[in-house]
Amino acid sequence: MLHDTLNLVAGLDFSILPQQLVNGLLLGSVYALIALGYTMVYGVLRLINFAHGEVFMLGSYAALFTSWSLGFSPEALAGQDKPSSWINLVLMLVVSMVVCGLIGMAIEFLAYRPMRNQPRIASLITAIGVSLFIQYAGGLFLPQSPPPAISEQVNPYRNEKVTVTLAPPPQDLVVQAKDARAKADQMDKAYEAAKAKGDPTSLESMRQETQAAKNAASNLETQVASKSTGLTVPYGQLGMLLTTLVLMALLWFIVQKTKTGRAMRAVAHDFDSAALMGVNVGRIITITFVIGSALAGAGAMMYATVLRTPLTPFLGVTPGVKAFVAAVLGGIGNIPGAVLGGILMGIVETLVVWLDGVVPGLSGYKDAVAFVVLIAVLLFRPGGLLGSSKVEKV
Amino acid sequence: MKFWGVRGVSILAGLGFAFGLETMVSAGLPNIYRLVVLAGLFITLAVSLNLINGITGQFSIGHAAFYMVGAYSAGFVSNQFYAQQSLGPQLWLVVMMVFGAFMAGISGFVVGLPSLRLRGDYLAIVTLGFGEILRIVVQNIAPLGGAYGMNVKPFGSPPKAIWIVWTLAMVCIAVCRNLLRTAHGLPFLAVREDEVASSAMGVNVPKTKVTSFVIGSAFAGAAGALFALYDTFISPDTFKMDVSFIILTMVVLGGTGSITGSVLAAVALFAIPEWLRTLQDPVTKVAIQIPGPSLVATMLAVIVAVALVKLIQDRFYGDKGKKLGLYVGAVGAGVAVQFLLAALLKGVPQLAKLSFEAAALRMVIFSATLIILMLLRPQGILAHHEFSWAWVSKLFGRRPSEANA
Repeated sequence: MLHDTLNLVAGLDFSILPQQLVNGLLLGSVYALIALGYTMVYGVLRLINFAHGEVFMLGSYAALFTSWSLGFSPEALAGQDKPSSWINLVLMLVVSMVVCGLIGMAIEFLAYRPMRNQPRIASLITAIGVSLFIQYAGGLFLPQSPPPAISEQVNPYRNEKVTVTLAPPPQDLVVQAKDARAKADQMDKAYEAAKAKGDPTSLESMRQETQAAKNAASNLETQVASKSTGLTVPYGQLGMLLTTLVLMALLWFIVQKTKTGRAMRAVAHDFDSAALMGVNVGRIITITFVIGSALAGAGAMMYATVLRTPLTPFLGVTPGVKAFVAAVLGGIGNIPGAVLGGILMGIVETLVVWLDGVVPGLSGYKDAVAFVVLIAVLLFRPGGLLGSSKVEKV
Repeated sequence: MKFWGVRGVSILAGLGFAFGLETMVSAGLPNIYRLVVLAGLFITLAVSLNLINGITGQFSIGHAAFYMVGAYSAGFVSNQFYAQQSLGPQLWLVVMMVFGAFMAGISGFVVGLPSLRLRGDYLAIVTLGFGEILRIVVQNIAPLGGAYGMNVKPFGSPPKAIWIVWTLAMVCIAVCRNLLRTAHGLPFLAVREDEVASSAMGVNVPKTKVTSFVIGSAFAGAAGALFALYDTFISPDTFKMDVSFIILTMVVLGGTGSITGSVLAAVALFAIPEWLRTLQDPVTKVAIQIPGPSLVATMLAVIVAVALVKLIQDRFYGDKGKKLGLYVGAVGAGVAVQFLLAALLKGVPQLAKLSFEAAALRMVIFSATLIILMLLRPQGILAHHEFSWAWVSKLFGRRPSEANA
């Protein structure tokens, strides 16, 4: 048993683990942004806003249309290289956030507000209805076949990345690789010279030898790369993480330091008492929806631009469900919990793909693992990781 | 004596109805036959979920998982063993139905266990999660066909299934109705109303919850087994989250806890998309094309009309005749808005060149109906009411007291 386990562990490639963790963190930050919307709405209304994933989908389409109107549509580009600047990205982010905020407000006003005093399950069904409606009505009007994707050229930093070396490769291996490469270069030069001279006798054998030397060199270089432990983060992903952090800090500021935020916390704590204390509950709920949806919009823009997912009207379903699971995992209604849950979810997902190396076929279960983690956590902490499960009073 | 007499007559009437339906529909188109089978299955699914959700109050939104367990276990076993025994197709259907119910009942027991610890939304998520986990696991198991699905063709051709599907539906209705009408059902209702109080009154809360999960999921599994054998092809996509949501919608739309409501809503919600799918021009027999401007205008007009109706419903306290007049006015306003906007929007060139097939709109219409019904009647079509003979006699002018006397 122990032997098997050790064998299993030995099969893992630990040198890519830090990279996988960072990838998970990046993916998780997007999940966290979406999860915040779920958790905030749940906090004030006790409603699972199933339409949140669809707001996310519309946000990614908003980013797509913005990029098109900025001149990055497939027709306008037509294969040529077009310079972009960071202003385009910011524009797309802002448009996407504003559009999503407005959509969230509209959904709240049209579908959820009239249900305010009704049983919660009725609101839930309305939410499911809204979600289906946006998916299928979107299917009628939004471009979807072939699934459009935001052009890579919008991102001016697409070729730049940060590389950090955590553990350098063994020195002798580096030297070997360097020597091999130098030798290959030398042979290549000799071969080119021979070719220029037009000496046909040994040309073919020289070509083969040169090729062999080149292969050996690149082989050694790959070994060096795999023996060293490092991180590579493209600028786009880094920007994504930074934007997420800024937005979260902003959210923290709004919720903790402003009057509106205090009202939000009051409504989340006790809906009726907050209303009695003079909080304009309707306004607070609208603001909550706008903020939550705008965060989803930011997440959607980054998901569509940096990760370059092809867009369909059903794009929001999977990230929506995962973010929702993340929100519940952290303790639904709890803002830091949503962030923690989202990041955990992203990391777990990438780790499953990493473990696929020793347990083949495991990555097929990628989407199920989120739920397994959730159920495991809920069985031990029924209120989620950071949530508190209330004791029921009679 | 009277008890057994009534029971005997009911059972005979039920069987008579099922076989009568079978003979009647067999004479018609195969397309209709399929729809009648599916309608019966959805009634079973909705009523069985109603037992868990409406009657016991356990918020479960992963019912498709049990449906899938029944379908896959029956499909797999039929493919393996049908050829090696001598039961006829009809008897095999019954055996598989029981087997599917058994397997789904076991999974219902497993899913029911967390309901002892979790409440409300958290339970909902766990049931949803179980459904997704099961679906993804099936997707990854090669002998079950993986993501491509599995052919279930032990009989060669689809068997006659209406009689057994509708018998199952009636058994499911009867079980739930009898639970509600007898002392056996009281613990379920008590758990729904207040767990802590019912536990204090001596109700075995864990047992009640798990029983309700097991019964509900067993019926769903039986329906799944029949579906697999009748439809001859199942794939994990058939049992997605959407299916769970639609079953849940049937329960809530019919009125949570009302069996009659579940039946009505199941038939209605199943029939609406199917009817829209076949919608075509009666004369030319081609699919109806709806121009873009009038579609958008209709969407906006519906919003206006529903908002007005809702306002009248909430804010107007007056005599019924006047209120009815206002409703008619609201609908009229909606129609007027539709015409006005359609004329206006024709001027928008991007919109004017669009046109949609009516069949493509079916899910849009379906979801819009869902939202509107929930907005205007949040307690469900029948709320908590049930069909009863006393109600029928009241409808025909006799007071219930006389009917009972």
